[in-house]
Formats: sequence, C-alpha cells, structure tokens
Amino acid sequence: MGQIAGKIGTGLKYIILCIYLMAVIFPMFWVVYTSAKSTQEIYKNPFGLPRLVTAPSAENAHTLKENYQKAWIGSHFSRYFVNSLKVVSISLVLILLFGSMASYALARFEFFGKQFLYLLFLAGMLIPMQLILIPLFFQYSDMGEWLTKAIAPLGNWLSGGKGSWIISLHDSHAGLIIIYVAASLPFTVFTLTAFFRTLPNELREAAMIDGAGEYRIFFRVMMPLGKPGLVTVAIFNFLGLWNEYLFGLVFLNSDSVKTLPLGLASISIQAQYKSDFGLMFAGLVIAMLPTLFVYMILQEKLTKGITVGALKG
Amino acid sequence: MKKSQRLFLFTMLSPALFLYGLFVLLPAVNAFRYSLLRWDGLGKPVFIGLQNFQKVFSKSSDFGGALKHNIFLTVVPGVLTLALSLYFAYVIHQKVKGARLFRIAFFFPNVISSVAITLLWVLIYSTTDVGLLNHLLKSWFHVKHAVPFAQSTTLLWALVPMSIWTATGFYMVLFLASMENIPESFYEAARLDGAGPARLFGHITLPLMWDVFTTGIIFLVVAGLKAFDAIWIMENGRPTSFTHTLATLMYSKVFEEYDIGRGTAIAVVLFILVLGATLLFRRLLQRERLEY
Amino acid sequence: MNRTRLLAIGWMLLLSGCTYQPKDTSGILTIEVAIFEGGYGLDWHRSVARQYEKIHPNIKIDLWGDPRVDEKLKPRVLRRNPPDIASSNLPFWKLVIANKLYPLNETLDSTAYGQNISWRDSLQHGVLADNTYLGKVYAVPSNLGAWVCWYDKRQFDQHGWKVPSTWGEFMKLCAQIKAAGIAPLAFQGKYPTYAWDTLLSLYQRLVPFPQWYELQDLKPGAFTTPEFIHAARLLQEMSTQYFESGALAMTHTESQLEWVNGRAAMCFCGLWLKNEMKLAIPPGFQMRCFAVPPVEGGKGDPHAIYAGGAEQFFVFSEAKHPKEAADFLKYMLSMESAHSYIQKLDTLSPVKDSVKGIKISPELQSAVDVMEQSSRIYSERLSGLYLEFAKNDEPDSLSDLLSGKITPEQFGAKLENAVDLVRHNPDIYKPAPMGVPK
Repeated sequence: MGQIAGKIGTGLKYIILCIYLMAVIFPMFWVVYTSAKSTQEIYKNPFGLPRLVTAPSAENAHTLKENYQKAWIGSHFSRYFVNSLKVVSISLVLILLFGSMASYALARFEFFGKQFLYLLFLAGMLIPMQLILIPLFFQYSDMGEWLTKAIAPLGNWLSGGKGSWIISLHDSHAGLIIIYVAASLPFTVFTLTAFFRTLPNELREAAMIDGAGEYRIFFRVMMPLGKPGLVTVAIFNFLGLWNEYLFGLVFLNSDSVKTLPLGLASISIQAQYKSDFGLMFAGLVIAMLPTLFVYMILQEKLTKGITVGALKG
Repeated sequence: MKKSQRLFLFTMLSPALFLYGLFVLLPAVNAFRYSLLRWDGLGKPVFIGLQNFQKVFSKSSDFGGALKHNIFLTVVPGVLTLALSLYFAYVIHQKVKGARLFRIAFFFPNVISSVAITLLWVLIYSTTDVGLLNHLLKSWFHVKHAVPFAQSTTLLWALVPMSIWTATGFYMVLFLASMENIPESFYEAARLDGAGPARLFGHITLPLMWDVFTTGIIFLVVAGLKAFDAIWIMENGRPTSFTHTLATLMYSKVFEEYDIGRGTAIAVVLFILVLGATLLFRRLLQRERLEY
Repeated sequence: MNRTRLLAIGWMLLLSGCTYQPKDTSGILTIEVAIFEGGYGLDWHRSVARQYEKIHPNIKIDLWGDPRVDEKLKPRVLRRNPPDIASSNLPFWKLVIANKLYPLNETLDSTAYGQNISWRDSLQHGVLADNTYLGKVYAVPSNLGAWVCWYDKRQFDQHGWKVPSTWGEFMKLCAQIKAAGIAPLAFQGKYPTYAWDTLLSLYQRLVPFPQWYELQDLKPGAFTTPEFIHAARLLQEMSTQYFESGALAMTHTESQLEWVNGRAAMCFCGLWLKNEMKLAIPPGFQMRCFAVPPVEGGKGDPHAIYAGGAEQFFVFSEAKHPKEAADFLKYMLSMESAHSYIQKLDTLSPVKDSVKGIKISPELQSAVDVMEQSSRIYSERLSGLYLEFAKNDEPDSLSDLLSGKITPEQFGAKLENAVDLVRHNPDIYKPAPMGVPK
C-alpha cells in the first residue's frame, strides 16, 4: 500500500514539475518559432509551425529574414542594443570601482564617523527609486543649465570661439549612467563591505612590509582577492540595469538614446499600430535571447550570485 | 592617523559618497520638500503645507484604489509564488531526476526584462487570432467568443499568473540554496528519532531557513508596492482606476497632469509604506534565531 | 589644435552628456516638429516640410513622430526644452495659462500662402473657436474632424442592408446584422473614450445646442438631465447587444481589423480610419460612412456633425524660433498643402473650399456628402480642460456603462459627481462659461 502511494506521490511530483516546465518553456519556444512567420501567416495559422519548418524554401526563409531585418535595422534595434551595452557596461565599471573603493575603506579602516557613513549607505537600500525620480528630474534640468553656463568660457576657448558645449543630463546616457551608479551603490557597498571584512589581514601586512603603498595594496592585492564578491555584485547589478525601464522612460526621450527595454516597448507600440505581429515576435526574440544566452553560460555563477546577494539583502 | 592615510581614505570614499549624496540622498530629501508644494512645473511653486497629503488621503482620491491594487498584486500572486516556490525547492532538494534541468529552466523568466515578459503575456492574452490562451480555449474547450483577459477591469487578475510565472524561479533558487545549507546530519538525527517527511520539513527545514523565507516575503512586498512596468505596458501607458498602482499614479500625476506636488506626495507615502512594511515584517516574522 | 585641447575635448566626449553646438554661420534655422503618429501617418507632413524648405532655403524642418509622442514631449516641456511645434495630447490649457504657448494671431492676420486673403479668413469658420483664450489663438487643427459610422458597402449590398436614417432604424439594422451571424459593431474597447464621441453625438441629437453646451460649461446637473441619461441608455443598449464579443479588450487597430476583415459590420470612428487601416483593407472593400443618425423625437439639430478627433498643432513660446514655426503652420494649412492632404490621406482639411476642383476617392466622397448635408460642426473641450476627469472618470464610467455594470442613471450620477469635484477644486483652471460658440 505504502509503496503504491509513494509511487503515485512520485508520479504526481513529476507531473507537476513537468507541467510547470512546459508553462515556462513553451511560451518562449512559441515566440521563437512564430518570429519566422509573416503577419498574414500568423493570422491564418497562429500556432502551427512556420512554413519555413514545414516547407523550407527560400521564400519562407525570406520571411524570417524580413522580420529580423525590420526589427534590427528598420526599428533600430541594433542601436538600442548598443546603447544598452554602453550604458550598462560603463555603469558596471563605475559601480564596481567606486563601490569597492568605499567598501574597502569602510571594512578595513578605523576612522571617525565610519559607522555613520556605513549606515548612511545602508539607508539607501530602503529608498524606493520612485521617491527620488521626480526631484532628480528637476535637479537634472537645473544642473544641466548650470553646468552649461559654467563651462561656456572653456567651450569658447576649446573651439576658438566657433561654438559652445551644451551639457544635458536629460536625454543623455551620462545622466542615466550617473543615476544607475548612484542608485546601485548602497547594495554594492553593503555586499562588498561584508566581503572585504572576511579577507585575511596577513596579505596586507606582507605587502606593506614589501613597501607597497595603500593604493597599490588596494588595487594590486585586495581588489583581485575580492573578485568573487565583485562578480556577485556585477551579476546582480547587470540584470537589474539591463532590464531597467522606469528611469529610462523618464530620462531618455529621443529614439537615438533609448535602451533595449524602452526600444522594445516602442517597437511593440509600432507593431500594434501597424498590426505587424511578425515584427513584434522578432523584437521579443532579439530582446530575450542575449540574456538567455548569457544565463546559459553563467548559469551556475548567476544563481549563486543572486542567492548570495539576496541572502545578504 | 597619518595625513597620507587620511588622504587615502578620502580618495577611496569620496567618489561613492559624492554620487550617492548628490543623486540619491539630495533628491530623496527634496522629495519631502516637493510634496509640500502646489506646482505645475511650469510656473512658480506655492507652499501649501500638507494639503497634498490631505488630497491624497481624501475620500474622492484615486490613491485608495491604487493602494488596494498594490496590496492585491502583493498578496494574491505573492502567496501563490511562495507556496509554489517552496514546494519546488523542497521537491528538488529531495533529489529528483532532472533536478538541474528544472532548476535552470524555472529560473529562465528572471533574466528576461519585465518589458519583454509583459509583451509576451500581452500576446498570450490577446483576443485576436494571435492570442495563445484564447486559441487553447477555443480548440480544447470550444469556447466560442474570445475572452478579454487583459481588459482593464480584469487586468489585475490577469497579472497573477504572469507574476507567478516570473517570480517562482527566483524564490525557488533562493529557498533551495538555503535548504542546501542545512547540514544533512540534522535530518539523520531526526530520522533516527522516527520523524516523517512532514515533521522533518516543519521542524528542521522551515525553522532553519526562516530568515531567508522572511527575506523572500519582504522582497515580494516591496516589489508589489513598487509595481509599475507591467501595468504601464499592458495598459499602453494609460492605466485606469481599475489598474492604477501607486507608481503609475505618481507618474501620471507628474508627467501627464503636471501636478508635481501631488505626485511627489504619493512617492513619499510609497516610501513610508516600503519602510514600514520592511520593518514590520522583520519584526513580525522574527523568531528566535536558530544557529547551526 | 594642440594636445591639451584635444585632451580636454576627449574628456568632454567621455562625459557624453555634452553636445557640441557650432555657432551658426550658415544662417540656416532648424525647426523641430513633433507629431502624434496616428491614423494619418507622417508621409504627408514630411512632404509638406520638404516643400516648405524649397520655398525657404534658410530653414530646415526637423520632423519626427511617434504613436506615443506625448510620453516623450511631456517631460521635455517640464524641463523647458520643448520642440518648436507639436501636435500631441499635452495639457493644452495648462500650457496656455502658464504662457507656454505662442499666440498665432500675428501670423493668422498675415496673408495666406497662395491666396489674397488673411490666413484666418482662408480657414473654415469656427475651427479656431475652441483654441482661443482671451482673444488669442493658440492652436490650429490640421484636419477637419467628423465623427461618423463606417461600413462596407459591398457587404451591405450583399445582405440587402440599408443605411439607416434614424436611430431606431440603426438599431433594427444592428439586429438584422446580428441575425445574419455577423457582429454589428466593432469597438475600440481598450480606449473607452471612443464611445465618448458617440455619446456626445447622441446627446446632441436629443437637445438643442444651448443645453448641449451646458455640459461643456460644467453647469450643475448637466450630466443628470433626462436627455443625457437617455443618450447613455441608447449607447448602452447598443454596446450590450451589438458590440462584437471581446471588443472591450481590443485596441483600436485590433478592433478595426475585425471590421476590415468583415467580422464586424460597422465601426464608429473619425475620418482617419481609412488611412490608419489602408494596409489591411482587402480588395473590393467599399468603405462608406453615415452620420450618427438623428434620434426619433429628439429636439437637437438633426444635421449637426460632431467634429471629434481634430489634430491640433501649436507652437511653444520657449521654442527656438516661434515666429518661423508659426509660418510653417501657415504653409501647412495653405490651399496647396490642403489639396495634397485631402488626396493623400482621404480626409478633410480646415482650409475653406479645399475639396472643390480636385479628384477625391469614393470613401472620402461619402464623408464629403455627410459634411455637405451638415448644418454645422461642433466639438467638446472638457477633455482638454479637465485632464483628470478626461483621463480617469470619463473612460472608467464609460467602460462600466458599456459593459452593463452600471445603469445609465448611475453613469450620469458618476459623471456629475466627478464634474462636481472639478467644479469645487480651486486648483483646476476653469474658463468662464462660453455658451454656444458663434
């Protein structure tokens, strides 16, 4: 009896797992194969395999090519992709650099006000980004105007009086990078401080005896030792920033500077407006595949990084 | 402390402090100032004390409805997500075949952007011929008319499966990691005492992962309070009183209606709620810490 | 350029928030035009811009559009960096009152392009009335709106259906269509506001104009008059019985696709419908329209046409070249541009007599016939003035009414309540009652 119940239980367990597996995988699979269909084909035969698969021919392959061409070039997906790459990679470098510098100081040195500074950074983890969004919007306007005025003489000198430099934190990657870095610091400092605290002191002392200065010790000894911590922080921040939507929506207004999530949203609007579903499916695939690909490669590190990050947070 | 060391510490701390102070703390403080103004962003601001908050909390305000939606979006998918992810974590922890596959696959939705996920579900719910779900209903259950899942009045319900779909993998991985941290010897000892699986789970697994579980709940609550992306995209940038959340309401007030004071007041309330919920849940769910 | 300079420039580029603006020595002015990319697309606007550049070689028109242009423009206005010209769903009256818009009077009084009269006189009478504040005009419409019911003549002929001349006939026709197994009406349910125009048209059929405009002037009780409730009831009878199933969740293009594909027989919409759906219209489809039919026993003008959905263009006072921008608008609304507008987009222009003497499509001819039989055009201003009302209360109550969740009486009361809040809110600007515009 017990054995039968156990077997039924095991069977049920696998059935539930497999149903959920289907629920997760199938929609993505569906998006991928549908992106090989033209809009008319989607309408006529929404769920069957694309003609490209059932009746491979140059013409049907052309549909696939056309959808992706429309998304990648016609709808500027390539540009959004490069923008995202630029914004996120610069942000990550700065986050890791500034974050680890501050964390190291907070973790390994004693000085007046240290506890206060640490708590100050920690407090940032409780501030929802929605709170700073609006004041920051107006702050950026004011700062842009102020900076433009401040550098006017410099610009004049640089161009030999032939033009001027305008600084705008709105509608520019600089503005987005600044807030991405600033907003990511609390979590980064929190995680890395904990990490630097665990590093052994002997290495630092040995380096000191060798006559290395503090900067050298930090960049040559401590940073490399901190690599596992940095990887965790980098993964966590990468996913957050690569997929960020709200700040982009507010601070980027022109198509030329948009990041991938914003570009995808605007492609979907276009696709709906032109009833072009082929374009929409292709756009979704282009947006999904890179992160899925990165995930497949870094799968182990990624889940571990996220777990470590979350457990600490 | 030597001068050179002081200089070193200054160099190390100042970039982070500068950015964090100027672009996070300063605007956060300013938010409180803005919430006391009547300002359309175009003309001169007028100081009006707490009137914005009065308006936000007044009976006719759309704030109450929005907060209800946030709570709905926290509780309904939240409870289901926790239950499902705990179940999956438990099952996979018990060593099933293909554990690695399930683990990798279930986590998939977490690496896709919220925008892409939402658009995917827009297509799933569509009432046109493209809609996956309606197609299934039509061909399996012979439902005659397309069901408008994503219409404003029922959109919040439609978001429930979507958020579960998205979040379960994350919490599963989280719980699984914490279960794997529990030394096997604990279980062995209990098994020797004749404890069954239910007892093992209730008396060892859950108490020892309680901290992580609490963290999970706080994550879900905070995410629910901040909900923006899915609603904004599903509603084509025009949420209605059936779907507004605090964040979409704030955005609408500021950038659509140019009512900066009121929008910021909503943001301030949102902040207080996030803060309150985090502290409250920490306290409520705190148990005697079990060390192992 | 020496090394220090190069280095400094490199640094500034690295900051990437910098843009270099060379001092203008060429004398070419750039005018930025941001347009709502809706049913009319952008091709016509672009061709007008190129035409204008030919006439004015010192001006470059930088024109762009987006279906959600307001999402991009609203923040830009707040940070005092608007384009020169925009056509978008911005809080128009807030901008007017905050002096953010550039008055067009001077340009209106100057001579029109290609005619010997002033620009103002070259326009259809009454199209500027709703954009005037304290004697100053702040916006011009690019099209002449008309809210009509569209159908496929071929489908009607096949089934022997007749264009209704009264609302009663219209409802009978709907029943007939439904009996034939076709959904009578497509509806853009994701945006319930599409029904607002139909509702206001129905209400107009029931009451004389002075009473109709009481809605616009927020007169207490205007939304609970028996006639308004009646209009709401007519709308609800139509929606609950004859809307295509699932219509309440469809976007405008989704529902219009249903209509184009013959699964729904009729569709209330503006004149942009043809252009919006032109890629999807199958061969042989004969798109025709009729006005919202007069209601039996109604006391309103049976021939007035509701001019819903006119696209307004305005110039920002913070624009870089407001005066030149206003001149571009003048060219956009010249007889020559109006002709290409009508022919390219199958719609009507606010330029007087612009349909005369040119060849137009049969779809448009049916709209022209409707317009020619009309006694006057009228439009509403609630949506532009009271944003919160227009964005929340109006669509929410409408979606409840259309789905049958609330009764027409409750609907009227709900709107009246919402308007009452507007009335008593000192923060909302309300112009003095304007009555029936001349």
